Amino acid sequence: MKPVFVLKGININDPFVNRLTDGTIFSLEQIEFIIPTVEKILTKVNDLKFTNSISFEAQMIEKMISFMYTCDVYDLEPVPYVYSGINYSFPILSVNFSQTEEHSVLDILDIAEREGIFESDYYDRIYLCSNCSNGHLTYREVCPKCGSSNSTTEDIVHHFPCGYVGPISDFKNEIDDQLDCPKCDKRLRHIGVDYDKPSILHECKNCSHKFQDYNVKAKCLNCLTDNGVEMLKGREIRKYRLTKKGELAAINGFVSTSKDIEEIIGTVKFDTFKTMLKYEIERLRQTEGSSNICAIHITNPSQVYSKIGSEVQKGLLKDLVRVIRSSIRSSDAITFQSSSTIVLSMNEIPTRIAKRILEEIIVMLKRLMNTAFKNMEVNFETNVMPLDYKISPELHIQQLTKDFK
Amino acid sequence: MFEDIIDNYIRFLTSLTVDHFIRLFWFFIFFEFIRYFLIEFVILNLWKLSKWLNRDVYEKARQEFLFENPLVSIIIPGKNEGKHIYKLINSLKEQTYTNIQIIVIDDGSDDETPTIGRDLQKAGLIDLFIRNEIRGGKASAANFGLRFTKGKFIIHMDADCSYDRDAIEKIIIPFYLDKEVGGVGGNVMVRNYDESLVTSLQAIEYYDTISIGRAVTSYLGIYRIISGAFGAFRADVLDQMKGWDIGPGLDGDITVKIRKLGYKIKFEQDAVCLTSVPNTFKKLTKQRLRWDKSLIRFRVRKHKDVLFPNQAFKFANFIAFVENITYNLILNFKWYFYLVDMVVNYPSMVLNILITNILLYTFTNFTKFVIYSLYRERKNAPYSFFLIYIPGMVFYFGYYLRIVRTIAYLQEFFFKLSYKDPWNPEKTSVHAKRLKL
Ligand SMILES: [Zn+2]
Ligand SMILES: [Zn+2]
Ligand SMILES: [Zn+2]
Repeated sequence: MKPVFVLKGININDPFVNRLTDGTIFSLEQIEFIIPTVEKILTKVNDLKFTNSISFEAQMIEKMISFMYTCDVYDLEPVPYVYSGINYSFPILSVNFSQTEEHSVLDILDIAEREGIFESDYYDRIYLCSNCSNGHLTYREVCPKCGSSNSTTEDIVHHFPCGYVGPISDFKNEIDDQLDCPKCDKRLRHIGVDYDKPSILHECKNCSHKFQDYNVKAKCLNCLTDNGVEMLKGREIRKYRLTKKGELAAINGFVSTSKDIEEIIGTVKFDTFKTMLKYEIERLRQTEGSSNICAIHITNPSQVYSKIGSEVQKGLLKDLVRVIRSSIRSSDAITFQSSSTIVLSMNEIPTRIAKRILEEIIVMLKRLMNTAFKNMEVNFETNVMPLDYKISPELHIQQLTKDFK
Repeated sequence: MFEDIIDNYIRFLTSLTVDHFIRLFWFFIFFEFIRYFLIEFVILNLWKLSKWLNRDVYEKARQEFLFENPLVSIIIPGKNEGKHIYKLINSLKEQTYTNIQIIVIDDGSDDETPTIGRDLQKAGLIDLFIRNEIRGGKASAANFGLRFTKGKFIIHMDADCSYDRDAIEKIIIPFYLDKEVGGVGGNVMVRNYDESLVTSLQAIEYYDTISIGRAVTSYLGIYRIISGAFGAFRADVLDQMKGWDIGPGLDGDITVKIRKLGYKIKFEQDAVCLTSVPNTFKKLTKQRLRWDKSLIRFRVRKHKDVLFPNQAFKFANFIAFVENITYNLILNFKWYFYLVDMVVNYPSMVLNILITNILLYTFTNFTKFVIYSLYRERKNAPYSFFLIYIPGMVFYFGYYLRIVRTIAYLQEFFFKLSYKDPWNPEKTSVHAKRLKL
């Protein structure tokens, strides 16, 4: 990684240039003023350790947070940007993507936040094409029957004396601007007195359909799909802040993402796990019994992962899960909270037994590590806690993992 | 005291001669018994006989209809009726006749009706939901809906009703039986017959008086009112008239207009619609005041021209008109004449006359109910349920409804109160009154 400065005669307001470079100088004589900055950046670059990550997403995250760390940038803010495929740009991340792939930025930021790299606040909401996830949409009111946006609108007139109701064109004559009732031939005099306009009516120029309520459709300017607005993918745009954990991940290298580990056989998604936990807690509220939630944490993940390639990383995690699976009941669930923390349930057994099972698991895991990876030490931390129906699933998990490094 | 009355009454009965009986109960004998029982009974039999004789013709008409398979458009106007509409749509989805177009017209509802209507349309359960943001009254809502109909026949329905599976098929067949038929009325029955005393009494009234009465008048060609709850029309006929005129009582009004154009009106007993009737006397009184006022308004005022020979004159229309006026309006006042006659000429016997009248009516009502049961193919409740309510019919029909009717007629005659009925928005009523509609 090298610091980059722009040499330019005028100020630049392009969001990308301003955020992706380390500063601007207006003449070469100014170089001496930036030397301290350059040195600082280079020292920080030296702090960095890079790892082989399993996935593209993890690589992107690592690249982004390394950059943020070295330039002392802790905030990642969305910038409204018409050339962005999603209308908002996060320059240091978005620069890696072509316009049509820019929606991946949001997925990567989601992952990073789930991994604890970022904290975030709501900023805005965007809607993306259901087909290609592009944000360049044009919204139109269209005919509910044929989808054409070519239509005319007319007032509906109600003639009180005879009860005739029809579009205003029924009442028009060819001679003057007067309105005459086609049913009773009387002349319309005064709105609210002998007639009113209770509604409007649209007529489609394409298929002649008459209707009152338009459908709203959003046509994608990228792939030309005409999306029903209910089909659009709504996404949140958030402002991000690098956390302490994120800073550490920048220095030590960011390894894996739970997106990859969700696919490991024998585990459930973290959200699913939380739902199952909720039901178990609910069940305990009504019945007597003791159920537990346990966590296994790898204390030195970056050391471990940086030494092995991404395929082997995945294999390692698979092996971990296989060992754990063999020691617990099939009704119990395993999930990854992050790439270094495994959470599992041990329902309907006393906590003391759960503790013992967990200890046995660790012994087996260590044995596995020793045979599979010689001269590499993997350290584990564990925790067990009984479920308490008075507290929420989220709080259970928080308390369970709060002491892990 | 009570025994005295009984003694006295028995003495009165034993001394009663035939002449005397006729003199004392002329009203019952000539109007109620002869008109509403004897003649009705004879005609009912003629009607059933002709139905049986024409069963092949009927079947042919039915085949012709089903073969042609014309689109039938259904319009359902209403204000704040959203909550009822699922039940109605459900019964429409069950119809044996399926080539239908369903249009719901919301007349300025201020509840969740627009949301419900749009949902139904989105879900494909109805073909069209349209709405007037500003309320314009039932006629204007129906007319608005009429614009969007594409069918050869138009059926007008009320949102708080539901329909027999074969109701649509049955109500359209008469158009194929006789090409001069311009409108057909369906048979309205009471869904909430067991909700309260009032609804049970009304259920009997709908069975015996309304349904049978309509079958009889239809056979005679003088059937008067196609019920708004269930009425079918030829689209071209409605088009000639440019739809409904301002109500209340627009059901009766449009029927007269169809007759004036020279078309026939039929009642179809087998096309059944269930409706919820008012469940308290207070609500019922309000409803009947409105109905009865419309008789004056439409018969005596708006359409009095049917009485005078002109190019639109039709003998059947004339008879329909006269029959209606005689047996509703004049009869109503004749009854008071009878009351005065008795009180003035036989003051000492008033109690005995009253008791006899009540017994006569009750006996007739029982007989009618039992005999007429044979003429109804479709029932929605066990007849035995109603037997205990039949004694109440004397008071319901003979006194309660008569008094309500009298009040309605007087109010309308002298004060034209129907133009003030909140059933219509005031903006439209003002015009109806000025134009003597
Ligand atoms: Zn169209
Ligand atoms: Zn008019
Ligand atoms: Zn697209």
